[in-house]
Order: sequence, then structure tokens, then C-alpha cells
Amino acid sequence: MFAHYLDLAWRSLKATPLATSLMTLAIAIGIGVTMVSLSVYHMMSADPIPSKSGKLYAVQLQVMDEGQTYHSADDIPFQLTFLDAKNLYQTLNVDKKVAMFKSGFAVHVSNPEVRPMLQTTRLITREFFAMFELSFLYGGVWSQSQADNAAPVVVIDETIAQKLFGRSDVVGESIYLAQRRYQVVGVTKEWQPNVKMYDLNNGAFADAERIFIPFNHAAAYEIDTWGNTNGWKREEINNFTDKMNSEMLWTQFWVELENEKEQQVLATQLDNYIQTQQDLGRFNRKTREFSLRNVTEWLEYNNVVSEDNKVMIGLSFMFLAVCLANILGLLLAKFLKRAPDVGVRRALGASKTQVFYQHLVEVALLGFMGGVIGIVFAQLGLWGIRKTSHVYESLATMDVSMLLAAPSIAIVTCILAGLYPAWIVCKTSPATYLKVQ
Amino acid sequence: MLELKPIINALLRSKVGAVLAILQLALTLAIVSNSLSIISERVSYLNKPTGYPEESIITFSVMSFDDKVDANQQLIVDERILKSIPGVIEAVGVSSVPLSGGGSNSGFSLTSEDDGKHTNSGHLYANEQVIRTLGVKLIEGRDFTSGDVLISSEYAKQPDVVIASKAFTDEIFGEGRGLGETIYYGGGPLKVVGIVERMTNAWPRFRNADRLIIFPMVNANGFQDFLVRTDPSLRGEVMKKIESVLLQENPNRVITNMKGLDEVKERYNSKDILMLRMLLVLITALVVVTALGIFGLTQFNISKRTKQIGTRRALGARKSAIVRYFVVENLIVCAIGLVLGTVATVFLGQKLMSLYSVPPLEVSYILITALGLIVLCIASVIFPAKKAANISPSIATRSV
Repeated sequence: MFAHYLDLAWRSLKATPLATSLMTLAIAIGIGVTMVSLSVYHMMSADPIPSKSGKLYAVQLQVMDEGQTYHSADDIPFQLTFLDAKNLYQTLNVDKKVAMFKSGFAVHVSNPEVRPMLQTTRLITREFFAMFELSFLYGGVWSQSQADNAAPVVVIDETIAQKLFGRSDVVGESIYLAQRRYQVVGVTKEWQPNVKMYDLNNGAFADAERIFIPFNHAAAYEIDTWGNTNGWKREEINNFTDKMNSEMLWTQFWVELENEKEQQVLATQLDNYIQTQQDLGRFNRKTREFSLRNVTEWLEYNNVVSEDNKVMIGLSFMFLAVCLANILGLLLAKFLKRAPDVGVRRALGASKTQVFYQHLVEVALLGFMGGVIGIVFAQLGLWGIRKTSHVYESLATMDVSMLLAAPSIAIVTCILAGLYPAWIVCKTSPATYLKVQ
Repeated sequence: MLELKPIINALLRSKVGAVLAILQLALTLAIVSNSLSIISERVSYLNKPTGYPEESIITFSVMSFDDKVDANQQLIVDERILKSIPGVIEAVGVSSVPLSGGGSNSGFSLTSEDDGKHTNSGHLYANEQVIRTLGVKLIEGRDFTSGDVLISSEYAKQPDVVIASKAFTDEIFGEGRGLGETIYYGGGPLKVVGIVERMTNAWPRFRNADRLIIFPMVNANGFQDFLVRTDPSLRGEVMKKIESVLLQENPNRVITNMKGLDEVKERYNSKDILMLRMLLVLITALVVVTALGIFGLTQFNISKRTKQIGTRRALGARKSAIVRYFVVENLIVCAIGLVLGTVATVFLGQKLMSLYSVPPLEVSYILITALGLIVLCIASVIFPAKKAANISPSIATRSV
């Protein structure tokens, strides 16, 4: 029966080409616009690390003096001081913890044919790879003793290995970060989370680093940050040692916790840490404040999905509502015009339900066509977005779920629009039309 | 004269069509006028002058990995090389690039003691070529001389003088004052020797974007940003040459981020440009869809009433009366839609404002949009109505 209805629907659509194209166009434009903003939203809000987004926690400490404010929702700074990151790493009794910050170097090899390149580099403690699920293709992370001795060891990803050596298996090779020679101990698989959740300071959708060196190289080789440094009090900074011991904020700290209990244990430890620091004259506040936010909460707290995008989503759905009203009007007109045909069909024995279904199949078909054309419009729109802004290069795309969503939304919209007209037309009393004929 | 009564009666008889048209118009008014308000805010932000001739400035960064060279010396050599490229007017090494989103911002005060009162401003370091390279207009005082420039590799040292933007001096000293007066930064005094009419710091979107202070100071390290002002017509040529001439001088470095200052600004503002374009596409599409909808509904109404129109014509109605009938009918629908739409618009505007940082909706946007929609309504009814007027009176006598 469905095939028959589909056939009838197709004939009916062909019979009124103008109305059909108007309606298809309306739904296609509506779907196109909606899918563009929905796709960007979908990519922006996608969980960067689904298996761990509830387990990885960003640590924040309220280090600022009483009365100082910060541009975060709860006045606690986003970043930590170098001193606190270092201390927390040493004192916190948890297995998985990482202190880190972003830097960068001119990277080159002894082969003069390979042109030096500028690369961001992340200074991390060993646990980073396991916590954020980077996988090694060759070799592995440096040992704790290498880290303690500030040994010149480096982990790079496969793309850097390819650029520098033309191959991926480069464990044991030497590369230069600025003037210092480093030995490659591990090569990771290329890694680019859709949101750079572990360091949102220089753009939530920035590229992930591809080169990793031990965190305590910062002190050993005076490596400064390439990220943001936020000062909040007047301090005399004459050299890098002063900066490392200052109250300036420029590092990030994450922990991985399995359950609520571990979370409570850690909270107690953080509270104790602040207390011991208060004895040393830091954290000049009445109350000890800190916060632990998991990835999901952290992205929300940092407003990763832009306001503009939320406004666009709202406006797009209102736009779709206009398209729906539009189609409803046109469908009503079209179906009523066909009432005489329906009268004949009813007289020949078609039930109300059958007539109703037949018309719903017709609008669903219309929705499907509109949805497919809508995808084309949406791709055009997304292409335009990628052209406008480099930030959106990986975000302005449709994944499979969005490709499937487009015709689904179109069909649902059309069926919603078609319910009333189909209802009106199936109520047609056969007698009225038979008389006139 | 306007046959209002029969029109209203006819409308009441086919309510659904009219209600749908009203709904569409109301929603369209709400969406378009709110979008227009956001668009105009972004346009005025994007068109705000920065004070720089962006189309004639190039910026790039040099990362050196040669520890044998003295960075401060290298900077002077590089500036000289850059200036020798044909088409280059001036070149300077800077601590950060204006409009780029990355730079320094600090509090400046009027006393050497920390009294807790300070005025925030962006600041950057460069030597005496900086004002000419930036192409900004010095309205008071003098430019830097080479004697002002402090070349140092110590963090804490600072020069004796600065040049500031008028927005900063007006803020800290009061309107029109500031030249020759002293500000304090980290306890050290800085005398304002020059005031620039307008120059934007690294964050154009922020509230205090037009506050910038320039220190005549060079403290180069391995990483150095450069600004080069060229003849605008030769900028592309110069841009191509820079990397090779600098690497020729010393190959142990990487030259990156080569862009025009206009591109730097565009990148910084890419979100706003995107929002602007998306909204423009949205409202264009919306207007098209609404016009098609109204056109379709009128067409339908007319085809349904072919016989009535024929009868009216047979009874002596002029063609103009038929056209007028449909136009008036449409205007009534339009008017109701716009009244309801105004309510929806204000509601949406307030909702958006409470949730997001959008500007308050001005009445003028509602009026402009409403006017546009009235024109749209008339335009989309005129064609079907004219066709209706051509219906022959004889149709009334046939097939009844």
C-alpha cells in the first residue's frame, strides 16, 4: 500500500510543479539554514573525550588576595601559578595528575635540507599521555628519573616525525628545540580533540601541540610560556626565576578521579595544601577556595560554545517555524483544490484513514526531497563558514549524524505541516463533489 | 469605498490561510528586526577606525635559534635590511602586534605609591621608528628620538618617556590634558611626551580598545614580532621578499605569521564577520520564503474565487476595484501580522538581551523591517491581483 501511496504522491507532486517547487524550496532553505547552525553547534559541543569526560578534573585554586576579582563566573582564576602546579604535583596523593603549560620552539634537525619550523610544544608531566588518551606508535613516555634529571628527551607525533625525517619510526633520533638537542623517546599517533579542553586559554578550538617535553625543563632551561600569563598583584619580576616564584598565573593542572570518594579525598588534600601555603603567607583570604570541574563542567564554565552560535540556533529554528507555516498554507491550498478527486476516491470506497495516510505520505515525500536539497544548501553554507574563519575549519562540517538528521527534521517538519491539511481533506464528504460533477 | 466589510467577511470565512500569513509575517518581523539590530552593531564595530593604515602594514614573527647572536643587535640589523627592500617606508621590531589579540595590558597610576587606583591600558615596546611605521597621527607633543630609546635585556628597567593614545590620557588626566605629565608603571615614572589621536591596542573587541601606550624600549629575545609599512601598491611584492632577505642574513631562524595588518584584524574579528554573514543569509532567505508564501496564498485565494470575481466584473466592477480588493485584503492581513509581530519582536529582543550580550533593540529597526514587509506584501499581491482583474466577466455565466 505504501508503494502505491508513494506513486500517488509522486503523481500529485508532478501535477502541480509550481506549488511543489515552492514548497520544496521553502523546506530546503529552512533545513539548510537550520542544519548549518546545528552542525556547528554539534561540533562545538561534542564531548572531546567521551570515555573520561566525567573523570578528568581541572584544578583551580583561589590564590588571589581577599577582594580581588577575576573574569570567571566564580572569581577563581582559570590558571594556576607555576609554584602551585609544581607543589601540587609533588604533594597530591593521586596516581593520575598532570602539571603543564604551553611553550614553543624553532624545531630543526641536523639535516640542512629540512627547513626549520616553528612549533608549539607542551611541557607536561608523564601522566599526560595516559590521562588524555594519546597512543604511542613507537617507544613511549620518558622515565621518572629522566624527568627528575631534566634529561633532554622528547615525545613527538607522527606528523612531526614525517616532516623532519620522512618516516614515523624515529625513536632514538635527535631533534633540536631551539639550540638544545633532544632525543626522541616516543612517537604518538596524531591527536586532535575537537575542543582543546586541557588548555582553553588561547582558543578552545586551537590545534593541539605535537611535541611534548618534561614539565621541569621549565625550571632547568628557563622555558617561558607561549600561553597567557595573568598577573593580579604588583610584583618585582627581574628574571625568569622571579616569574616562576611569583603569583602570576600561567600553568594548568588536571587530575583523574574514579569516583566521588576519590573526589572528596582530593578536596581534603587541596584544602590542606592551601592551609600550609597560608602559613607561608600566601592565599590571603578568610575562606579557602578551590574548585574541581570535570571536562563537561569545565567546557560549560568556560563558555566554549559561543553565544553567537546559541543565538543562531534559536533564530534558525524560528526560521524553520516560518517555513512550516508557509508550507502549511500551500499544502492546505493544494489539498483543498484536489478535494473533488478525493470525493470520488471516497465514493469508490477509500476510507478516511486511507485518504489521510495517502496525504501524509505525500508530505513526507516532499519533506524528504526538501531535506536532501537542504543538505546541499547546508554544505554550501558550511563551505562559506570555513572560508570566513580559520577557527571553524574543522568545526563547520557535517558528520553522519547531522547528515541523517537533516532529512529527518525535514520530514518531521513537513508531516507537522501536513497534519491539518490532510485532516481537512480526509473529512471531505463524497456527496458534495459528486453532485457538482 | 474600500469594501472593508465584505473583505473582512471573506477573510473570516477562510481563517486558516489568513492566520498562517499573519503568523509568518509576525515571526519574520521578529527575526529580521532582531537580526538587523545585531548586524548593525557588528557592522559599526567592524568599521570603527583603528588609527592604522592597515592595508599598507605587514607583520611577521622571527624565531631565532642562534645563541651566538645578540638579539638586540640583530634587531637593528634586521630593521636596516627590511628598510632596504624597495617599497618599504619604515620597519620596526615590536613586542606585540596591535589588533592581534595577543599583547600586554597593565594598570598605570598617577602616583609612585600603589594606592590601588589605576587605569588599565595596553602597552608595547619598540624603538623610535614605531610611530612612523604604525602610520598613526601624533596630535600633541613630539615623536620619539633615538636618545629616548632604552636598549636593555633586563626585565625591570624602563624608559623615561612614553607616547600614549588620546583615549588613555583623556581617561587618566582628564579631557585634553596629559602632555608633559607623568604616569607611574610598577612604581617607575614615565613622562608623556606625545599624544596620538587614535591607536587601538591588541584587543579591538574590549571596552578599552583605544588605550595604548608605547614605550621606547628594545628588549629582544629569541622571538621577535616585526611591523613593516610599505607603499600599499607594493605590499604584496615586499611580503614575498622578506623571508628570503632575512634568511640570507642569518639562516638560523624561522620566519612565520607573515600577514597584512588588515588580515590580522580580520582573523581577530572572524567570529563577528561570520555572525554577520550568517545573519545576512538568514534574513535574505527568510524574506524570500515569506514573499513566496504570501504570493502562493494570494494566488490560491484568487483561483478559489475566480467565479466570484467574474460575477463582480459582470455586475460592473472595474478592474482597478478587483486589484484594490486583493491589495486591501492583503494589507489587513499584513497589518494584523505586524501588530502581533511587534509584540513578538519586543519579547524576543528582551529574551535575547537577558540571555546574551546583544544590544538593546531600537524601535527604528522594527519600523524599517515593518515598512519593508508592507512593501513586500504589496509587491507579492500586485501580480496575482492584476491577473485576477483580467478574469473575463463571461466566466460568471459559464458552468455554474
